[in-house]
Amino acid sequence: MINMQPYENPEYFLWLSLALLPIIIGLLKGKRWRIYETIVSFAFLFLIFDANKFVQGLALIGYVAFEMCLMFAYFKYRQKRNDTWVFVIAVLLAIFPLVIVKITPVFEHGAASIIGFLGISYLTFKIVGIIMETRDGMIKSLDFLKVLHFILFFPTISSGPIDRYRRFIKDYDTVPSVEKYVNMLGKSVHYIFLGFLYKFILAYYFGSVLLPQVSALALAHGGISWYLVEYMYVYSMDLFFDFAGYSLFAVGTSYAMGIETPMNFNLPFISKNIKDFWNRWHMTLSFWFRDYIYMRLVFFLMKKKLVKNKVNLANLGYLTLFLIMGFWHGVTWYYIVYGLFHACAIIICDVWLRFKKKHRDKIPSNRFTKIFAIFLTFNLVCFSFLIFSGFLNTLFFMKH
Amino acid sequence: MSFKKKLWLIFGPVIVAILILLVFLVSPFKLNVNKKILPGASISQSVDVFKGTAIKKAALEKNYVAFMGSSELSRIDPLHPSVLARKYHRSYRPFLLGAAGSQSLSHYWAMQGINRQLKNKKAVFIISPQWFVKKGIDPQAFAYYYSNLQVITWLKTADKSEMDIYAAKRLLQMKNLHSDSIIEDAVERIASGKTLTDIQKTYVDLKYNELSHEDQLFSVLHVNTRTSIIKRQMKQLPDTYNYSKLDKLAYDLGKKNTTNNPFEVDNVFWKKRLKGAYKNLQNEQSDFNYVSSPEYADFQLVLNQFAKNNTNVLFVIPPINKSWAKYTGLSMKMIATFDKKIKYQLKQQGFTNIVDMSKDGSEHYFMQDTIHLGWRGWLKLDKYVDPFLTKKQKTPKFKINNYFYSKNWQNLHGNSLNKVVD
Repeated sequence: MINMQPYENPEYFLWLSLALLPIIIGLLKGKRWRIYETIVSFAFLFLIFDANKFVQGLALIGYVAFEMCLMFAYFKYRQKRNDTWVFVIAVLLAIFPLVIVKITPVFEHGAASIIGFLGISYLTFKIVGIIMETRDGMIKSLDFLKVLHFILFFPTISSGPIDRYRRFIKDYDTVPSVEKYVNMLGKSVHYIFLGFLYKFILAYYFGSVLLPQVSALALAHGGISWYLVEYMYVYSMDLFFDFAGYSLFAVGTSYAMGIETPMNFNLPFISKNIKDFWNRWHMTLSFWFRDYIYMRLVFFLMKKKLVKNKVNLANLGYLTLFLIMGFWHGVTWYYIVYGLFHACAIIICDVWLRFKKKHRDKIPSNRFTKIFAIFLTFNLVCFSFLIFSGFLNTLFFMKH
Repeated sequence: MSFKKKLWLIFGPVIVAILILLVFLVSPFKLNVNKKILPGASISQSVDVFKGTAIKKAALEKNYVAFMGSSELSRIDPLHPSVLARKYHRSYRPFLLGAAGSQSLSHYWAMQGINRQLKNKKAVFIISPQWFVKKGIDPQAFAYYYSNLQVITWLKTADKSEMDIYAAKRLLQMKNLHSDSIIEDAVERIASGKTLTDIQKTYVDLKYNELSHEDQLFSVLHVNTRTSIIKRQMKQLPDTYNYSKLDKLAYDLGKKNTTNNPFEVDNVFWKKRLKGAYKNLQNEQSDFNYVSSPEYADFQLVLNQFAKNNTNVLFVIPPINKSWAKYTGLSMKMIATFDKKIKYQLKQQGFTNIVDMSKDGSEHYFMQDTIHLGWRGWLKLDKYVDPFLTKKQKTPKFKINNYFYSKNWQNLHGNSLNKVVD
């Protein structure tokens, strides 16, 4: 049985381009062949979850059935009433499968839950987004097939970028003008080829060639060593090029299908501070957390007058956001410390920005300070990735 | 700008790139290996060189001789075969094939692609008794030294012979080797005694071109990592070859480098590998057994291939450091049985050039550490290697016996073994 994981090798791109060709010709002629698109989506989903991934495929079907019922039930309810407790239960139910998947390894000695499948997090983000916007009354109609198409959109199924329902459907319902579409095709090819450079050359070199070497050296030395510092940078580069390469493939494929899936990365390593970094790194995730967790929490606390001080309000928001993000990555000390680290970094960053605003005349700002800011942010971020990598756990707490 | 022109500007370069790549990968031309990298590659023990064919072919077509073995090959001191051959301007240069973990099965697969270069030539093969453990080669170690190029090259000529069928079966026992289902199916056909379908044959031919070009391009990187070590070792040798003077030098070097332990094990090896653990190793090896093992059949694959190529091979059975063996409780009687069994398998089939050093484990500074040849051991080996490779040898007469593939032979031990062997 043939099984193809998204963007895993050059062969995948061969099949992908063959499958996309009719869609591209159609869009160039000003037509969107939706039935063909659905067949292609289904075929590629099937190839991800068939053969030895069969159990995951079943989990996906069960998950989608459950979440579809939930979304439509809530949507129907929301047309008549709007009680907060129903909304809270709807969200809790929506994230319930993901929570089970994330918690299972803690109690089952690292074994994965059988209800998990590739991409469950990203599907859950999209679904929670729909429920929240239904609550806000922003989503006025919910079409069964369109929702399915949105949550199962195959180019982004495994790891995002996380699109928004209303934005996606606007693209899906229309056909871009030929001028616009040709530009999108240009971007599509550019993104996919940049993705090749990122994922198949740079991420391969950092992740498969350098990383095992520095990892072995750091473990052989033990404790804190220069090799550990090397590991930190090599891992950070691998993480970025691997994920950014994957995201470029997903965005490039979407563009060829006439869907402007949002970008995930915008030169994160030239960020001038940690706040700037989160506007450039895994953007669709951080914007999701900002809009659906941070903003809502801050708004809630303000309305109920639970926290009055504006600064405390923001800090509480950051802590909550990054703690949840940490737990979402996985229930291990290093993901949670990673979250706390970034929360603290942003809180300190805010303190500094306020201080700078007050004493603008006394603090120099020139090319050197700007370069220093980028350098400092870059190293801070790399250090946080070292925590995130779990390598410290292997190094300090495991026998090897 | 018209849309057609714009589209052409977008997809034109992509199409051209794909065409160039396809032509490059599939067409049957050959990139020549730069001869300057051969001295470095011959001592690199690089896994990419081992898994590939381009460099091995280029070297064996010159005056390089395949020295096949495993971890002992990386014990480079002044008496190492590569150093001696260079220092004393021998007509041959060793090409080291193998490193830690490369056993018979890996060597069989690594020979695919150089069979033509081995034809009617000479080679040296160092057999490690430690390969012949109960479970045979570790699948992970095998996977490390295995490449699609090896199997594709093999599939080009594989037929219904016992050798090919056995090799195919062994390959299928090593799980998750291929991400390529067509190759997997082809190997299964050979294993069940069938030949390839026409589609499989075409696929194999095209894939062969692709993988060879990859090999020609990429295996030549990072091979020049050890030349300076060889040069440093050469400087310690006297300018003219004199066996007893060299033996004295080997003795002195051994003495100088084995001062921190009672087993005459190299200081660095002791400090890094044994010092922490040796207390727990006392009598730890008393139940080690090298007499029953699937490795005997894997080794038969190598012999069969040598016979098919009519390669004249000098087989070396290295010793084990005796004081270490005594400490760990390794049974010397068992080693003697192993020795008898392996020599029987060799001699019965016409492989008569055997250097049996298995009884030299108590010689001073013969071993660099516990099981690896060093200083005086390397020198003694040279006494056999040099004439074997530089003087004309009798043409060997091989008669392969498929019995040596059987489970019966693999597991034969005790009295039944004695009955067969004596």
